[in-house]
Amino acid sequence: MKNEILETKDGLFTVTVMVNGEKKELPVRNSESLLDALRRHGWKGTKKGCDTGDCGSCTVILNGRPVLGCLTPAVTAHNGEITTIEGLGSVHEPHPLQEAFVEAGAVQCGFCIPGMILSSKHLLDNNPMPTEAEIRKALDGNLCRCTGYVKQVEAVKKAAAKMARGRKK
Amino acid sequence: MKNIRYYACPSSVKDALALLNSRKYKAMALAGGTLVAKTLPDTVETYLDLKALPIKGIKLQGGNLVIGAGATFDEIDRSKVCRAWAGGIVAKAAAACSSQLVRNMATIGGNIARPHSFNIFPVVLLGLDAKVRAVSGKGSELLSLPELYAASPRLRPGANCLITEVVFPAAASKWKCEFVKLAKTDSSWESYITLFLAAEKRGGRVSKARVAVGALSPRPFLAAEAEKAILGAAGAGPAAFSAELEAVRAGEYRAAAGAALLGRFIASL
Repeated sequence: MKNEILETKDGLFTVTVMVNGEKKELPVRNSESLLDALRRHGWKGTKKGCDTGDCGSCTVILNGRPVLGCLTPAVTAHNGEITTIEGLGSVHEPHPLQEAFVEAGAVQCGFCIPGMILSSKHLLDNNPMPTEAEIRKALDGNLCRCTGYVKQVEAVKKAAAKMARGRKK
Repeated sequence: MKNIRYYACPSSVKDALALLNSRKYKAMALAGGTLVAKTLPDTVETYLDLKALPIKGIKLQGGNLVIGAGATFDEIDRSKVCRAWAGGIVAKAAAACSSQLVRNMATIGGNIARPHSFNIFPVVLLGLDAKVRAVSGKGSELLSLPELYAASPRLRPGANCLITEVVFPAAASKWKCEFVKLAKTDSSWESYITLFLAAEKRGGRVSKARVAVGALSPRPFLAAEAEKAILGAAGAGPAAFSAELEAVRAGEYRAAAGAALLGRFIASL
């Protein structure tokens, strides 16, 4: 968008975004967060936890980096690319990270997992073999109230190894 | 926020300033948004998104470390230039801010423009004698942090002017520095006390001392008595600092912790 000014109509902006690789024109409310807009339009894998930027349940990847959906005004995603958990894999074809989280027993109630997986995906996309400290740093904004994070860290290591084997083949 | 009618994402500082100073748009600048997004006053009608402005670079210029105001905490943390300058203190401070998700969004410019007691960079800027470039409709000015604060309401970053870059002076790159955010957890935004400590030793004596304190008031301050005491006899610094913190009603814990942290820093010189 080059110096374009969007204007609301009846309190709604119409934003053009790529969500999980699909181009969409979405009406979003003037004061709505990206989290609320995504959920309202059906991407309910993005979870609403604290709504104050503390828990990371609402993590989505916006223009290549994980952000807090609750602190991102929806209209600012205009002309952007969004990846939600729905864009990663499916029940029949899970992403290696999703497989690893299940295999490692990293999922208990599951509420924090979409955000955690998206933060992990960004980490592995940029650093295919992270150290434990790097994994913990990448996930420090994704709170889990069920576990002690040990299994999630293990899951990211497993996924990194699995993805590395996949690259060698 | 309920009165937002327009959204603009200009690609030049000139266009951004034109919108900011236009009576029609009643705009407020939005950088990372972590401090502003939820708290925009109802008088604001336009989100002025700064993400497309060319103010994100990090570079060395004649020994000065120059960081574009749009650089995120994460970019500063990962920057090789920042990690090498003054023992990496600026990168270390950036890494200490809240969580990775916030560091991906929050910018150094936003952290300066929206004063809050828990903000990290104002403390670092004050401690390193850094300057901020503020650009308004009337031109560009390079100001120290106290000068920027004193210039309000003539200059109100995000409302009638923009911060475009932060300049850390070359002289400070030789100082020994320490940054401490004393908080409940590493990823807490809130901290009990935030300290930036710096010193230079010449001929066995401390010739320069900086003790910048954050988290106690919306704007950080320099602990002048502690700095003076360190220059007289380094060992006298902690007691003077403790007394200074007590005087600003920081509380017993912060006074004791601050003095202990300063004592450790002095011992490491």
